[in-house]
Amino acid sequence: MTTISEPLAPSAHAPVPARWRRAARFVLSLPPAYVGTALLLLLAALLRPQLLSLFLLPLIARQAAPLGLAVIGQSLVMRGRSIDLSSGGVIVAVSYILTSGYFPVSDAGAMGLCLALGITVGVINGALIVKARASSMIVTLAMAMILLGIVIALSQFRAPGDAPEFLRELARFRVLGIPLPVLVWLAVLAPVALLLRTTVYGRYLDAVGANPRAAALSGIPYLRVIFVGHVASALISVLCGFILVGFVGKGSVTLGQDLALNSLAAAILGGVNFGSGKGGMLGPAVAAFMLTFLFNFLTSLGLGEPGRLMLQGAIIAAAALVYSLNKK
Amino acid sequence: MRAPSRPKVEYRSAQREGPPVRSIRSGVSRYTLGLPLLLFAVLALAAPNFLAPQNLANISGQITALLIVTLGQLVVALVGGIDLSVGSVVSLASCLVATQSDPLWGITLALALGLVVGLVNGAGVTLAGIHPLIMTLATMTFLQGFAFLVLPIPGGQIAPELRQLVNGTLWAVPQPIWWCAVLALLVGVLLHRTRLGLHIFAVGANAHSAQLNGVRSVRVVMAAYVTCSLLAVVAGIYLASRVASGDPTMGASFSLESVTAVALGGVQLTGGVGSVLGVITGALSLGLINNGINLFGVSPFLRGAITGALLLAAVCVQRRRMVGL
Repeated sequence: MTTISEPLAPSAHAPVPARWRRAARFVLSLPPAYVGTALLLLLAALLRPQLLSLFLLPLIARQAAPLGLAVIGQSLVMRGRSIDLSSGGVIVAVSYILTSGYFPVSDAGAMGLCLALGITVGVINGALIVKARASSMIVTLAMAMILLGIVIALSQFRAPGDAPEFLRELARFRVLGIPLPVLVWLAVLAPVALLLRTTVYGRYLDAVGANPRAAALSGIPYLRVIFVGHVASALISVLCGFILVGFVGKGSVTLGQDLALNSLAAAILGGVNFGSGKGGMLGPAVAAFMLTFLFNFLTSLGLGEPGRLMLQGAIIAAAALVYSLNKK
Repeated sequence: MRAPSRPKVEYRSAQREGPPVRSIRSGVSRYTLGLPLLLFAVLALAAPNFLAPQNLANISGQITALLIVTLGQLVVALVGGIDLSVGSVVSLASCLVATQSDPLWGITLALALGLVVGLVNGAGVTLAGIHPLIMTLATMTFLQGFAFLVLPIPGGQIAPELRQLVNGTLWAVPQPIWWCAVLALLVGVLLHRTRLGLHIFAVGANAHSAQLNGVRSVRVVMAAYVTCSLLAVVAGIYLASRVASGDPTMGASFSLESVTAVALGGVQLTGGVGSVLGVITGALSLGLINNGINLFGVSPFLRGAITGALLLAAVCVQRRRMVGL
């Protein structure tokens, strides 16, 4: 929203120069993730400088990679006025396929199976949302429940075991000091950001988000745009699953369960909202880093579980509050 | 240049076909009514001890808490919102009641908490314009932390008077059924016999039109969130009295389960469509599924999968005009 039209106060008796006020207004109009990250880094520099060391920062970035990937998928569907809460279910299913040994295939075969699962889930989600016009929140939530339920029931017969060796290696591997998961994150982020800016699909997505009715009337295949978003989001969840399984080294039925809601928070803090992609793809990425850094920072302060959760909730609310009040 | 505000998208065609307006507004269809009846019939025929009085009393005890929370979720869904914080409110209320020695003071404290949470959620959603998912996600996280602070591990004491209120029978009817009946009646009266109820439907159907017609939508939405939080507090008190202790994670599953029950009951999450009857059928269906899983000896771990599949089936038969959320 432009706020330029507001009359500037006469500078005669204004001690604060207009330049400063314009700067403040610019900072406030940014997605809350940027200011939040800056504030957090500043606070950390004062209170816990060791968090900013060259040893720990890449580790935190590595930890942020799954959330960073998940938020890419979440932003894609949110810009089309939809939502995807199924990532937790997909991740648990991926971890089970990779680690249980239920499927007598090689590691590469198992990863292929995971991708096939991702496509299936994405297609089912998309089809139900677009064809049956079901609420995307309910559909993806139900999908997560189904996948999680099946995995938990199956793990009674065969508990999840160790992760494939090369995934664990990949999670530890570094290129020029940068952990590989971070590179994977960037390798997905950069093309998606570029494609959204330059391709017809990106324009369609903006049009659908701005006004689905108008987009449909102007002949934009808007159902297909939403459908493709959901398939992409499910595939990205599979990728998150690979990375998380590599981190943990073991299969687990609690892996990535907070990712669906955290990615929603990160998308909003990054300036993406239902139907608008103002924060682009960079905003959500910064927000993913911010949230992960925040969790680490709060842990390093020695706050127990109660204090950590309370501060986390308060900060998400505060950031969302500043952003929406400013947008009004 | 101020950008013109974007017109709200509405998918209503001028000529409407299909069922009459009244049943459209309630959201009750033959599927929402048929599901619990079908489940009941299947269970009564296939599970020999389903109709035993003990089992029926069990079911009513289990469903009550979910039904109370779901009634609150209904009120919020009717104004087009959603409240994910109900689970944490249930947990926190149970902790508060279990840690106070005077039950009356504990209940007062818990109800005051519900009022504050509802006001904060409502203010965030209407005054600040934060998306309800984010706003209630934030309060959910905060309150979960607060619950751990009040009572780190399950425990505490519940006054015997409170326990009597949920466990015995009154006039040969189990107490939980009285709780359900009274609260469902109260919410029904609120929605259909008061001005606020009419305004809730009006705001949910079209907030802009309601505003133009003189409805103060800010107050209406605030009232909806407060009602929802207060009902969650009641559910927390009920649950704590039933298990005779508080538990900081007791209600965690209610957030999503209440949304599930609301959707099964034909309530539209976009607002303006829903009814107490639908919500009762939704909560009843979920409860019967759980009971059936127990009686048939199906792995309780499959519960989530079965509920999810049912939910998918339920939303697919209720085709909407809108795509997305």
